[in-house]
Amino acid sequence: MAGRKKIVPPGEAPRVIDQGSVWILVAAPSIWAAHFLLSYWVAAIWCAKLGRGTPLAEPRWIIAGLGVLCIAAIVGLAALAIRRYGGVFVIFEEITESSERARDRFVGHVALLLCVLSAAAIVFTVIPGMVLGQC
Amino acid sequence: MKSLASLALVLFLAGCEGRHNWLAGAGEEARSVETLFWVLLAGAAVIWTLVIGAATYAHRAEAKPEREQEARRFIIWGGVALPVLVVGGLLIWGLLILRDITADDGALTVRVDGERWWWRVIYDTPEGPVTTANEIRLPLGERALFRLTADDVIHSFWVPALGGKMDMIPGRETTLALTPRELGNWGGLCAEFCGGAHALMRFDAIVMEPEAFDAWLAHEAQPAQVAEGDAGFAVFDEEGCGACHTIRGTEAQGPVGPDLTHLASRDKLGAGIYDMTADNMARWITDTHEMKPDIDMPAYPGLQGERLDALVTFLMSLE
Repeated sequence: MAGRKKIVPPGEAPRVIDQGSVWILVAAPSIWAAHFLLSYWVAAIWCAKLGRGTPLAEPRWIIAGLGVLCIAAIVGLAALAIRRYGGVFVIFEEITESSERARDRFVGHVALLLCVLSAAAIVFTVIPGMVLGQC
Repeated sequence: MKSLASLALVLFLAGCEGRHNWLAGAGEEARSVETLFWVLLAGAAVIWTLVIGAATYAHRAEAKPEREQEARRFIIWGGVALPVLVVGGLLIWGLLILRDITADDGALTVRVDGERWWWRVIYDTPEGPVTTANEIRLPLGERALFRLTADDVIHSFWVPALGGKMDMIPGRETTLALTPRELGNWGGLCAEFCGGAHALMRFDAIVMEPEAFDAWLAHEAQPAQVAEGDAGFAVFDEEGCGACHTIRGTEAQGPVGPDLTHLASRDKLGAGIYDMTADNMARWITDTHEMKPDIDMPAYPGLQGERLDALVTFLMSLE
């Protein structure tokens, strides 16, 4: 460990998402899950309170707005994965070396792919809200 | 091998014939689903051909490491971007169909309750509700909105040739529109396993000319014509049938089983499974559970001879 170039030494890392931390892996899918749950709650409560056939005018924009915020957060995470972890959006990324840097790059690579997947999933959650106009 | 293939083809195409054929295109909603089906099938065939072609090419071609970058780009566009776009497009298309077939409007509103194992059918008319059972008649070319629910377990309402299907859920109301485009007697069924006689929970969906439909509905709204002192009705009354069944215009007002006011005007007996004949009616009364297992109606094996004849004659007169 000693002498290796490391931005934040282990044990001193003040940030949750940083080199060596695996939190970045769960962050993007968690944002998608939170968006899914919030969208579901908003639509379910709206429709339960106002009844069948009620227009979804407000909820659909809440769902879309939440979607934009969540995708912005995921873009931020993707930037972190690229900048701090050295993740690259490449298929067949081979990381075979056993070193801290290689492990970071692996985490960054997986995090980046999960960001893309989660962003697509959020778009797919927003689409029904946009197409279906009523409860 | 050849005969096996022919057998498979016959079995496969057997589903494409007759009154339950979901490719019959007899309704607007069935046609929209059918279009989506053909596009999906053609798309799947193209993708399959391309993938197998690419695999064959990759297997035979010599490796060219200098083209690796290009190959990775191909995978990202062809394996990630394109599928996301195609699936997104199909999602939107499917949602648009769903939006159309569940939209809350129709020239005619029909409420259908799924029961084990029959259908309570109520036409909402300006003059009030008209109750019938196990047979649905629809006017050609008019959008009918079905409001669906269930009393006991989850059922699913499906007339394959016209459109659907849609779940019927206790405590909730779901909607489904059907716009018939072809005259005929189409088959309907329950498409969600609901217990013992699930496979025998059927109905006829009869598409009529609008004038004929109006006349039928007006007739259906009338009470039954039961003569004073009718011997068959006397048996019906003595045996307690009126505790479960309603015959409008008489004191029989039971809400449990199917409404019998115009029973004999229906094509089928026992929720779409037997022809409406006097013989079947007699068997239905005496050997109920041989005719349809597990149903709630008790059998009346002791009812024989003149009393049975009188009851059957009476029921067959309820047109």
